[in-house]
Amino acid sequence: MVQDLLNATTLASIYVLFALGMSLVWGTIGILNFAHGAIFMFSAFTAYLVTQQIPLGMPAVIAISMTAGAIIAIAMQYLVFQPIMKRAKNAHAGELQLVIGGIGLGAVPISIAQRVTFSNPFGFSAGTFEVQAYNVGDVIITNVMIIILICGLGLGIGTALWIRRSKKGLALRALGVDPEVSSMMGIDRPRLALATMAYSGALAGLAGALLTYYFSSITPESGDTLLLKAFAIIILGGVGSVFGVILGAFVLAFAEFGVLLYTDGSWVTAVSFGLLFLILLVRPQGILGKKEVRRT
Amino acid sequence: MMGWLDQNEFLIGSTLTVFLLAISIQIPLRLGVISFASIGYYAIGGYGTAILMTQHEVSTWTAIVVSTLVAAIVATLLGLIIARLNGLYLAMATVSFSLLLSAIAVNGGSVTGGAVGLYGVIGDVTAWHAAGIALIVILIVSFSERGKIARRFDASREDPQLASAMGINVTMYRRLSFPISGLLGGLAGALAVNLKSAINPESVNFSLIILALTIIIVGGQASWVGALFGSLFFVWLPEILQFVGDWEEVVYGILVVVAAVLIPGGVVGVFNDWRHRREVAKERPSIALKEAAAGETNEVHAQSQAGKDG
Repeated sequence: MVQDLLNATTLASIYVLFALGMSLVWGTIGILNFAHGAIFMFSAFTAYLVTQQIPLGMPAVIAISMTAGAIIAIAMQYLVFQPIMKRAKNAHAGELQLVIGGIGLGAVPISIAQRVTFSNPFGFSAGTFEVQAYNVGDVIITNVMIIILICGLGLGIGTALWIRRSKKGLALRALGVDPEVSSMMGIDRPRLALATMAYSGALAGLAGALLTYYFSSITPESGDTLLLKAFAIIILGGVGSVFGVILGAFVLAFAEFGVLLYTDGSWVTAVSFGLLFLILLVRPQGILGKKEVRRT
Repeated sequence: MMGWLDQNEFLIGSTLTVFLLAISIQIPLRLGVISFASIGYYAIGGYGTAILMTQHEVSTWTAIVVSTLVAAIVATLLGLIIARLNGLYLAMATVSFSLLLSAIAVNGGSVTGGAVGLYGVIGDVTAWHAAGIALIVILIVSFSERGKIARRFDASREDPQLASAMGINVTMYRRLSFPISGLLGGLAGALAVNLKSAINPESVNFSLIILALTIIIVGGQASWVGALFGSLFFVWLPEILQFVGDWEEVVYGILVVVAAVLIPGGVVGVFNDWRHRREVAKERPSIALKEAAAGETNEVHAQSQAGKDG
């Protein structure tokens, strides 16, 4: 039982890392990034390619993955999302173009990785990192799990506080409320947007590397599954709310583990879609969202 | 000619079913509803037909009609349930509806055949039946693309508030788009399962959403011509360009991105812009001549014209 709770918490921490960047980007600069799953997968994939050549330790692998994620995200923002937003007649038309651009963007890295690995799972087994398991009572915890828990909860809570307390955080929230007025107040929108995308990409890269260590390998398609889960998490918690992401991640991870305990594994994927559909019907603004659904 | 048609009957059939699916997404899109539920309707139509034909020995066309109607009824109910959602929230609700159905298909046991799916659906549907149905659909859809009703569609999409202020019942149009989309999506699935004689969860998952969107975006959102062009292009491209082969998905992805950034109106949009510009360029001298000849009476005429319109 305690073991199950610990496993669910570890999974929730991965979900936090993945969904946090997506939620930030959507809630502040208004881009629902359908390519986020591809960034996640491809940054871990880049680290995998490097470890195949040079056996590296965990810090180096994570650093490579995060850098790759940030670079991919910046390139996407600079080459695709920014031009679409500039050309869009109105916010509504832009929204659809952004979704479609993201879907197209996401397909490219995933199919490249599928081509290179022949759709087989890949991992960092060529690296120098060794998984160690510790017994605490009758609970088994590995060093990977400890690192995931620290990263997920630390970065989740840290980002939430930073958004609330700091001046840059205020600027970001202002962008989410009204981009035009906030740029009149001296906020450099394009630069802040690039920085937010880079941060979100780096978080996706971190999540990718950590999940690969945790499961010991991931498939090129894993990004898509996680993307759909992240929708459920973000909507559950409320768009733009960082604490909402943490709450949503825990609700989803525990619901999935509950389903796993009582049925066989094949229903697990349906949990996130079911939860997403339900919350949209009952409370579209999410559990922690504000009353008004602003981004419609 | 006949030999070529017979050889490529399978490809022609899949072009037409993909076309019907694309139209099923396009009609809500023209009203400003981003709905991916068509994949779900496609699954209902396909699985419904397969279950009726292989497990209950229902005749081909009865099975197709029944499962298409079921898809339309489910679509109507879905439309009523998610009526309060808008924009991206609606898009996500419909994505989760479609994927929920594909999860049910995986877990349906012997009824849906689990991960293997259902096979051996052998009816008497040929690509020519599909062609006839597609032609009827094109005729009906092209009515909605001209005159008053086309302007209503455009207004509801571009500015729903202004449209309702002008007396257009935007809610009614949007709600009506669900059963229509359900009929078309269900029909696409029912025909596809007959032409391919099998259906599995793999064929109704997220990648089908991507394919349908790609077709509409690259072809053009505004007209059935765009959907037809897109279907032809993306079904036949892998056949013609053998060397693309394994890089097919990369090419698709790049094409979608390029289309989304550079030509939001799709290929058809580019063509229409070009034709419009050419016509304007051709008419400009004659308009200038007329204006010069009409002189001052022109202004009076313009005023009376404005009075009539108001």
